[in-house]
Amino acid sequence: MTEILSGAHILCRTLVEAGVDVLFGYPGGAIMPFYHALSEYPSLRHILVRHEQAAAHAADGYARAGGRVGVCVATSGPGATNLVTGLATAHMDSSPVVAITGQVSRSMIGRDAFQETDIVGITLPITKQNYLVQDAAELADVVRDALAVAQAGRPGPVLIDVPKDVQNQKVAFSPAGVGARVGAQHAAPLPDDGVRQAAELIAAAHRPLLMVGHGVILASAYAEVRALAEKTGMPVITTLLGISAFPEGHPLHLGMPGMHGEVHVNRAIQRADLIVGIGLRFDDRVTGNLAAFAPHAQVVHIDLDRSEIGRNVRTAVGIVGDAAAVTRRLVAATAARNCDPWRAEIEGCRRPPDASFRGGMAPEAILTAIRDATAGECTIVTDVGQHQMWVAKLFPYRRPNTHITSGGLGTMGFAVPAAMGVHLARPGEPVWAISGDGGFQMNMAEMATMVQEGLTVKLAVFNNGYLGMVRQWQQFFHGKRYSCTPIWSPDYVKLATAYGIPGYRVQEASELTDVVGRANAEPGLALVEFVIEQEANVYPMIPPGGSLSEPIEATV
Amino acid sequence: MTASHTVDVLLDDTLLTLNRAVGVLRRRNLAVERLAVRPCGPTGISRMTFVLNTDAATADRVVQQFHKIVGVRAVEVTTVQNHTTEEQP
Repeated sequence: MTEILSGAHILCRTLVEAGVDVLFGYPGGAIMPFYHALSEYPSLRHILVRHEQAAAHAADGYARAGGRVGVCVATSGPGATNLVTGLATAHMDSSPVVAITGQVSRSMIGRDAFQETDIVGITLPITKQNYLVQDAAELADVVRDALAVAQAGRPGPVLIDVPKDVQNQKVAFSPAGVGARVGAQHAAPLPDDGVRQAAELIAAAHRPLLMVGHGVILASAYAEVRALAEKTGMPVITTLLGISAFPEGHPLHLGMPGMHGEVHVNRAIQRADLIVGIGLRFDDRVTGNLAAFAPHAQVVHIDLDRSEIGRNVRTAVGIVGDAAAVTRRLVAATAARNCDPWRAEIEGCRRPPDASFRGGMAPEAILTAIRDATAGECTIVTDVGQHQMWVAKLFPYRRPNTHITSGGLGTMGFAVPAAMGVHLARPGEPVWAISGDGGFQMNMAEMATMVQEGLTVKLAVFNNGYLGMVRQWQQFFHGKRYSCTPIWSPDYVKLATAYGIPGYRVQEASELTDVVGRANAEPGLALVEFVIEQEANVYPMIPPGGSLSEPIEATV
Repeated sequence: MTASHTVDVLLDDTLLTLNRAVGVLRRRNLAVERLAVRPCGPTGISRMTFVLNTDAATADRVVQQFHKIVGVRAVEVTTVQNHTTEEQP
């Protein structure tokens, strides 16, 4: 049945019909007609953030944890430009986010009107698709299209820019049923014998490795990857965004590769004669110097995005397709074998874990306390920097998709707002947002959002008084000149108190279990500051552009 | 080894799709020798043609990126090794 509706109501109706239940946003002049209509749609819960960047990160966190589109809303001009970092983060990490922005009225576009910005132009390289809606009659199809494009194939962000007068324009609206158009996402598949060739390479290899990335989480291909590993005995490496795609405690699990990968993991890569990569893109933080990466290995690369095959590493066999579907076929085609001598060789390179971290307030002790308090069942959202690497290397993830972080873009300030989205996608499950003192101060205003909206997230701040990872680079590569990296922090306990949140400070390891347990048991929000060693480093480290064979290791 | 790659792209005739397509070339800072856009076949479809003088791997990566653009219908490459061209007066 056709109705006459304003563009603003069409936006709301199409979001409701698509099953959207949460929006993260901030109102302003050019998006006011939408907000006026929104109050008539109680099924659309709106989370009022304190900065639009947080809206985009929260939508991203919601999308990653919930496996469905996250939606954020902002006004024109500064509201829209504040979304940019969040959209770029989602773009780099293949997260389905739809951003709706207000725009000045059509007659004002191009006249440098108040709060006018060409947000469509600005976001062209960091979105999968974007739209400037010129007529409300197109709006319903644009929203349906945007939601489909964001999720189709390799997910990514999409932006819809809606001029204010289009939001007020009244046109005929027909409810769902119109087929959404999805553009030419997929190139022709590679030859079908890729799976057979891959199986032959696995059978013939003496030192094979399985490397899994974010694509395995996006495709929920956990069982398939585990079946492939267990049938072939191939040791499994998980990239930063692939962490939790394979159980950390599994005997075949090796760890994270690359710049801060453990020595035995990187040595395994350098000695391997076959790497089977599933849903990863061989990013430079994983490979180090490409010319020296895995010099003896042939590469089988399975990815949904054909453009990733052969993009960074030379590929012997490329298979384009969904990680779960392709891996299932590969399991069927592969003969059972084991890799016991190879695994023993890798184990010979393993460093004892206590060689890297010393002192009572070691990151390992903090993360053990969080694991114990949550029985290892929480989702951890990390920021970017040293704490991110410590969590990636040390937290014993057991459940799939319980490690959420900004990988490709490396966005400081991600954890706190993204954790709001994770909480809303997984209500009732414990969520810990772990940040450094630098990243936390970037978006700590979102504590107010959490209080106002009743969101339950545990906030952990690793406070070393430095922008720690930059300081570490200065120590290693810039003659220990700690230029502009010491960073002052407020009294986090008093800050938490000002927001009405229980705040704790831990300075002694003996307090860890008790305080983390109490914070975790708080019915709502809690903040815990961990005062850690000022000049602790993340070891080992491959210098930027260096070979995986040449790590900087801790001197004990 | 570098060669001349003529890339033909059939794409939706909208400024945004065209802008996104050109952005793929701009972002990679590729030397584009020629670029032309003209209406093609059915209404609403354009043909964008450009020439890259580069190695085969780079040309292939560009083609794969074009395949990902929403609104791109087809991409075709013609490669000419060691060709000679003459500028028209």
